[in-house]
Amino acid sequence: MIIFSERINGMYRDVRTAIQERNKQVVLDLTREQLAGGADVMDLNIGPTKTDPIKAFVWLAQTVHEVTDKPLSLDSAKANLLLEVVPKVRQALPDTKLVINSCTAAPEYMDKLIPLAVENRTGIIGLTMDQEGVPGNVEKRIECGAAFLMRALELGLTPDDVYIDPIILPIHAAPKQQMNAVEAIRQLAIVNDPPPQFIVGLSNVSQKCLFHKLLNRTFLVMLLAAGLTAAIIDSADTDLIDAMITAEVLLGKHLYSDDYIKAWKMQKGL
Amino acid sequence: MPIPDAKEKWSGRVNPVTIGATKGEGGTRGRTVTIGGADGIPFLDFDGQTPHVPAIALDVLDVAPTEWPQPLAEVYGDVWSDPAAWARRVKELGADLVNLRLISTHPDEGDRSADAAAETVRAVLAAVDLPLVIWGCDVPEKDQLVMPKVAEAAQGENCLLGAATETEYRTLAAAAQAYKHKLITLAPCDINKSKQVNILVSDTGFPLTDIVIYPTTAALGYGMEYVYSILERGRLAALSGDRLMAQPTILDVGYEAWRAKEARAVGGDAEAWGPIEDRGPAWEALTGTALLQGGADLLVLRHPRAMAAVRNTIRQLVTA
Repeated sequence: MIIFSERINGMYRDVRTAIQERNKQVVLDLTREQLAGGADVMDLNIGPTKTDPIKAFVWLAQTVHEVTDKPLSLDSAKANLLLEVVPKVRQALPDTKLVINSCTAAPEYMDKLIPLAVENRTGIIGLTMDQEGVPGNVEKRIECGAAFLMRALELGLTPDDVYIDPIILPIHAAPKQQMNAVEAIRQLAIVNDPPPQFIVGLSNVSQKCLFHKLLNRTFLVMLLAAGLTAAIIDSADTDLIDAMITAEVLLGKHLYSDDYIKAWKMQKGL
Repeated sequence: MPIPDAKEKWSGRVNPVTIGATKGEGGTRGRTVTIGGADGIPFLDFDGQTPHVPAIALDVLDVAPTEWPQPLAEVYGDVWSDPAAWARRVKELGADLVNLRLISTHPDEGDRSADAAAETVRAVLAAVDLPLVIWGCDVPEKDQLVMPKVAEAAQGENCLLGAATETEYRTLAAAAQAYKHKLITLAPCDINKSKQVNILVSDTGFPLTDIVIYPTTAALGYGMEYVYSILERGRLAALSGDRLMAQPTILDVGYEAWRAKEARAVGGDAEAWGPIEDRGPAWEALTGTALLQGGADLLVLRHPRAMAAVRNTIRQLVTA
């Protein structure tokens, strides 16, 4: 599974303050911690900020890049902000792999952000929702996912660079939506060959829940069994990572050995 | 409509491992032998390259064998009381490497000392300039005494030393690393244990790129298909990017093939099985060529006719 680190996000108070004060050390330390946990991609979200959001994004990307060459995912729900930020980060870091996070399957968004991905040689995360909002069922998720994938491939992206996100909602707010997301991944994985990537923002499921870590890791295992290939998570959560590795071993993704967790880490050079 | 390309895209490859060191490299070997390096299924040139064809080592024991049948006695009987002379014979016959077994260090087979074993190794190194594979006697307590001395005696020669197991790996790995040799890791017909031994050995600081996997061997008719399947799964794991399974393999074909009754039996029913002088080499050659397809990189053989037959098969497979 491709691990996107969720930790460099302005929704966390320490990161928000660090962005406002341009305190590099906080960002560098968090990045190192996430890399040590196995992060493959650093997701960057400036969160609510009083400063210039474009400058904040570029600063964050350059700061994280000081300690790693790994890909960066530029995370914002604002398409207009991404339109400005992505070319600036691409210019600042010409050789770094980038992922746009995210774009809905609403035509006006796809028409703006997919060409942006093509022009700037980035991957892109496509949400299985359109102008009508988050679907309450599996079918609409599949329809949106398929529409997004088809548009992305038409415009020249490869399946490896297209991440379909079936949208995870909190268990206490929307208790039927978790299995809808699982089922959407399962079905989209069957009908597309070669399949795109499938990604979730995992911790949404356990927002405001007491046993949030247990919910996260149990749900991650279920999603992996359905065909998930990437997730935005806290890679410093070792129980979560261990559950992920164990699920991958049971799914036949890695050859078992008694020290299979150590083997996974050795394989990643951790 | 164009036919889609259904070829697998592999992300990994088998590590190339070089055995032996020439004068320029700090040893005294005439040449080195490199095995492994493949980045596709064995012998499928559309799938990947085989930069180094499988190599062949011929057996040399450090004491005259008592149970080797007539066809082998005819080839080695006049030299087998002297490991150095035996090694020279092996070179004359055209082997790529000498596979030296220090069986006389076994407590029940003579219990010779570590110093005596080191002396044998020096004598063989002096007699021929082929790279060496060196095995202990498979009794861990004794091998722990013998193999460090042997490793020291062969310092600089970049030999391949066997064999580290899940429970006994520290001494051998340390000796191999201290005196710059390659190391065989052994897990009997168990791919999960095979990976585990590599993890353990690597944990001691020994480089994964200096390991050769010995999955043990079984002859045709005696469970060969189990070993074949282990080889195949290991190779697929290596090609899929598993660095802990990316090591080339050594298979002990001669020893196993010549234990088969089809290779040894005379009189009775065996009379109908064809001449005894053909059966052993044939059993050895058939076992060896079958295992090549699964991903064997270094075959240990005994009879020169088996070696010729296996080489002929390799030649046809790589040039076809």
